[in-house]
Amino acid sequence: MNTLIGIAELAEDLRRVTVEVADAGELLGSGVLWPAGCVVTNAHVVRRPEVTLRLSDGRCLRARVLARDSDADLALLDVPGTGVPAATLAEPDAVRVGSFVVAVGHPLGVRGALTTGIVCAIGPLARGGRPWIQADLRLAPGNSGGPLADAGGRVIGLNSRAAGPLALAVPMDQVRHFVRAARV
Amino acid sequence: MDGLQSLSNDLAAAVERGGRAVFGVNGRARLGSTGVHWRQGLVVTADHTVHVDEEVTITRPDGRALTARVAGRDPTIDIAVLKVDAPGVEVADVADSDAVRVGHIVLALGAGPRASWGVVSSIGEGRHARSAAGELLHLDLTLYPGFSGGPLVDVQGRVIGINTSGTSRHWQLAIPAAAVNRVVDELLRRGRIPRAYLGVSTQPVRLPEALRQGLNLDQQTAVIVVEVQSGSPAAAAGLTIGDVIVSLGATRITDPNDLKSALRPDRVGESITASVLRGGQPRDVQVTVGERPRRS
Repeated sequence: MNTLIGIAELAEDLRRVTVEVADAGELLGSGVLWPAGCVVTNAHVVRRPEVTLRLSDGRCLRARVLARDSDADLALLDVPGTGVPAATLAEPDAVRVGSFVVAVGHPLGVRGALTTGIVCAIGPLARGGRPWIQADLRLAPGNSGGPLADAGGRVIGLNSRAAGPLALAVPMDQVRHFVRAARV
Repeated sequence: MDGLQSLSNDLAAAVERGGRAVFGVNGRARLGSTGVHWRQGLVVTADHTVHVDEEVTITRPDGRALTARVAGRDPTIDIAVLKVDAPGVEVADVADSDAVRVGHIVLALGAGPRASWGVVSSIGEGRHARSAAGELLHLDLTLYPGFSGGPLVDVQGRVIGINTSGTSRHWQLAIPAAAVNRVVDELLRRGRIPRAYLGVSTQPVRLPEALRQGLNLDQQTAVIVVEVQSGSPAAAAGLTIGDVIVSLGATRITDPNDLKSALRPDRVGESITASVLRGGQPRDVQVTVGERPRRS
């Protein structure tokens, strides 16, 4: 029973820090409220210099793309003054194979949908490929850019795409590195 | 929140514990599979993933490659046993698979380690879930490419079965640990894994209501013998075409799969009573389970 209550609280917390990324009324994906008035999402989600963000409280804000790296599939958006606390970020290397994870996003337009799973593997899909956090968890279009978080609600990666039933998320250290570099 | 965090820690710990006995198996051209260090020096994997007959390269949990030898295989239950010298690699903690219940949370492990999770969705239900391995475990989880032959572990990291997606494309199944133990024991006892057989071909047959009532049978179906191989145990026992086999030993035979599942490797040489109907009359036939001759 405790476990169930835990998941509900976790979902609530993560929904607060997950935004919808849209352009001209079309849902493009999800994003995570980052510390210092930023939102992080996937590069493939934002293809124009400006997008509309919808916060979980319903407010819509215009946001400017500060940086975009299509190789890393990451983009940083500038959103000053949301007044909403940012996501809690996990420490790098805090992820273990088998640990419980949740994803929040807007798959196929379903607002704030929660999916659960475990970390399947950490590393590239094939030798020489880029590293991912691979999760045994269901993603669908619209989840892109949303948070993958651990049992404590700490963000461990940014959901990027699905390989069949496998979710692929950009690991936290890469996201941190990208944000740090983009802000200089 | 504590409950969730401790579940998460338990799952990760189970992967870590179970993973210490997990090998990568390179027994086929494109996609590797997974194996479990079942007993000291013996690695169990899924037979359908081992396309070679002698030497196989396998990878220890620490990433070092070793050469293993195919010690025995039982394609009827999709198990192959590899012999390898692997000092320092932990042997799996094998649990009692008879204690597994529908709804238990389980993890499937692949070499790497990789993991997926889900629950046991049914046990022994459906035709494909009964084989010489007994009642197979149906899993509500994803067996990712390369997971075949790997361990199904409980939340304590104890091995309760061997995963296989080989026997059916539509189902994720696990061969219960008890069946794997029987195969491994036979291998150690005889030096090889025999394949039990009677030497009959059968088809399912519906039992007429009057016959069922007259003989006090509570099963609706049985199997009818449509072929008896000459020189086979069935021929020696006097089974003939047209005999309806109702049970074999204590096992009720309702379809050809039941017959298959009754013929476990460890029954080779055992004399069992087959209850048959011949011309509508019940009779007991004593049959000695034989070993299927090996094709050379």
